[in-house]
Amino acid sequence: MPTNADPATAASHSQQVTNELKALLDAAVDGVIVIDHKGSIETFNAAAERLFGYTAAEVAGKNINMLMPDPYSSGHDQYMQNYQRTGKARIIGIGREISAQRRDGTIFPASLAVGEIPGSGAKRFVGFLHDISARKAATDALRRERDRAQSYLDLAQVMLLAIANSGHITLINRKGCEILGYTETELVGRDWFEQCIAEPHREAARATLAATLRGDTSLLEYSEDEVVTSDGEIKLIAWRTTRVTDEEGRAIGTLSSGEDVTDQRHAEQALKRSEQLLRSAQAIAKLGNFEIHEPDGAALWSQQVYDITGRDPDSGALLLKEYAADCVHPDDRARFLHDWRRGVAETGRIDLEYRIVRPDGSTRVVQTLAQTVPSNDAQSLIITGTVHDITERKLAEEELRLGQERLTHVARLSTMGEMATGLAHEINQPLTAIATYAQALVRMMDSPSGGERAELREALVQITSQALRAGEVIRRLRAFVKNRAAKTETLDLNRLIEDLRVLAEPDARVNDVRLILTLAPSVPPVAADPVQIQQVLLNLVRNAIDALLEAPGAPRQVVVTTQLVGQDVEVCVIDQAGGIPPEVAVNLFNPFFTTKATGTGLGLAISHSIIRAHRGKLGHRPTPGGGTTFHFTLPQLPGG
Amino acid sequence: MKEKPATVFVVDDDDAVRTSLRLLLKSVGLPVETFASAQEFVDSFDAERAGCLVLDIRMPGMSGLELQQRLNEIHAIVPIVFITGHGDVPMAVEAMQHGAVDFIQKPFRDQDLIDRINQALEKDRDNRAGLKERDAIRRRMQQLTPREREVLDLVTQGKANKVIAGDLNVSQRTVEIHRARVMEKMGASSLAHLVRMVIEAERAT
Repeated sequence: MPTNADPATAASHSQQVTNELKALLDAAVDGVIVIDHKGSIETFNAAAERLFGYTAAEVAGKNINMLMPDPYSSGHDQYMQNYQRTGKARIIGIGREISAQRRDGTIFPASLAVGEIPGSGAKRFVGFLHDISARKAATDALRRERDRAQSYLDLAQVMLLAIANSGHITLINRKGCEILGYTETELVGRDWFEQCIAEPHREAARATLAATLRGDTSLLEYSEDEVVTSDGEIKLIAWRTTRVTDEEGRAIGTLSSGEDVTDQRHAEQALKRSEQLLRSAQAIAKLGNFEIHEPDGAALWSQQVYDITGRDPDSGALLLKEYAADCVHPDDRARFLHDWRRGVAETGRIDLEYRIVRPDGSTRVVQTLAQTVPSNDAQSLIITGTVHDITERKLAEEELRLGQERLTHVARLSTMGEMATGLAHEINQPLTAIATYAQALVRMMDSPSGGERAELREALVQITSQALRAGEVIRRLRAFVKNRAAKTETLDLNRLIEDLRVLAEPDARVNDVRLILTLAPSVPPVAADPVQIQQVLLNLVRNAIDALLEAPGAPRQVVVTTQLVGQDVEVCVIDQAGGIPPEVAVNLFNPFFTTKATGTGLGLAISHSIIRAHRGKLGHRPTPGGGTTFHFTLPQLPGG
Repeated sequence: MKEKPATVFVVDDDDAVRTSLRLLLKSVGLPVETFASAQEFVDSFDAERAGCLVLDIRMPGMSGLELQQRLNEIHAIVPIVFITGHGDVPMAVEAMQHGAVDFIQKPFRDQDLIDRINQALEKDRDNRAGLKERDAIRRRMQQLTPREREVLDLVTQGKANKVIAGDLNVSQRTVEIHRARVMEKMGASSLAHLVRMVIEAERAT
């Protein structure tokens, strides 16, 4: 310690330092507060006075915690003791934001920096306090503004994405995170392309970014890109992208709004596919459809209707009457329109078959099925329906019908062939009688008496009748074997069977079999093709005769009966031959199955289909006492 | 024998054929009787009646072939002309094998039929004449004594008198006397005639 120091001088010097320090402290903008080791306030500068509303005198020697709101105030003493004991500081040398309390109790934010004042003895501390209310208010306002903006971004139901020139994500909203399956922090700052674009597309996507940054693209350029989500799912995003520039117009990144159109695109694709499917189905089925509005006849036709009719869809939708006039075959037109109107008016259902003429002159057969559907407007009516090209089916049906007819004819000829001996005999009989009568006549006329007139006349009458008899057999034979189209007539089955005797009986006779007809006194008429029914009957009689030839001891007779069974007329052909073995019965109606050495195997198969075509049934059962009864039914004519 | 003229019996189930045949045969002066079935003919059959049968080979019930069989069974000798259709050749062959005179296919020339009928009638006459002759020979044979019958048998076997005498253990002279009586009783003009008569008599009836 210097001993030569002038105490007065020293004192005045010290005073001057104190004054300078005070002036310095009071000039400071920040509040400066010195406290001792217990927290008692030693120094409180002018700025502090302004900040807190206390005078230095008022706070001198008071605990610093008076300047703090709870809970800081109550914890401060403990804090200081901790520091002095452990040397661990939480503020010193660091500075932090704290809350301070004014004299009037209001609290304000402040930044605080604390330093320890070196020296001997107890520790003292100096604190610099800066009111940051204004700054904080501004920051808060800014934050609020940002939060609001963020909430707008987050509210947006589109993905919002900002990318820097480098390709790093600078902003992404909640929807974006949702779509991509990441949190915001997992995305912001990451390379967008690495993170979210599948490798094969990255190059192109980067190029697009570059183009946008160069300004090569339009404002809000539209694009679609696939992105990869966190779990590897591919999503299709529709983007609107714009360039972001700084004040000087330099590109600093892009901002994009993106919409997840994956489902929508799938739906669109599904719709498109289903439309394609429908269209190709219509094309394959040759089935078009339409919707027609009555009464004006305005119509919507599917592509296939145009394809069927050979019309150009681009030449405008045809009205119904135009369709009738241009497409429907002239011979079918009147019927088409008549049936259409009647269907609409009476049943609401339309089922029409008609021909259409294509521009090239070719004809197609089509079927139109349609029905009326309720319309919102009571004055109008909607008719929806189909136009189905059934030409091929018709041709196939015709082909089948002709084939069936040919086969039926062959079977008929074959049956006739089996009966040939009997029929030849049947024609030979009247020829023999005629020849014999004629020769007798000659001899009688050559005799001296010239013959008795009555006898000569009788012989001539007989000749005539026998010639007619032969002619009748031939006529029936021709009618039976002629190749002809099926035709339905109203038939009396009794009469048909009586007529059949001419053909069936000779065959029976040559085989020494009696043909017995046990017909009901009368049966109601049926609608049937007489030749086809005769064919069935002859076939059954033939079979019965053949069965009898195999059964030497059996009564040599075939009985044909008619009777009314319910609504049907039943015809039975009954023999008492050996019956049908089970292994034969199984195949009985199969084509080409035969037990006869020279049989075609067509007879029963065709008989079966003939009866079925007449909506009847052909079957067989054992004859009581042995043999077989073949029976078939034909429905009687309604009201017959 | 009753002196009814030889009759043509027509059996045919076809009315027209039957009636026209009747008229034709009548026009050439042949007596005709017609039958609509074989059974009808059988029912009125009289073996004594001369004539022939014109028979339809195919008929319901008893066929022509069956009637022929039936007649053969009762040794009826009536000659048959079969009428056949076109397809009946196998049946006609069978009929011929069973003794039919002939067959004719329908329709036929009247002369062909009449020729065959005349042929049949002639055969019937021959048959009946033969029958008559046989009956006479048998009656004569029955008048022979047992010894004369023995001699007849040996003579017709071609044995000489001396051999026969040895066989019968009689004298040659005795054989000669028996032989002369046989020739006389049988009305034989020569040995050859005698042999013919014995063969005729032994024929089946």
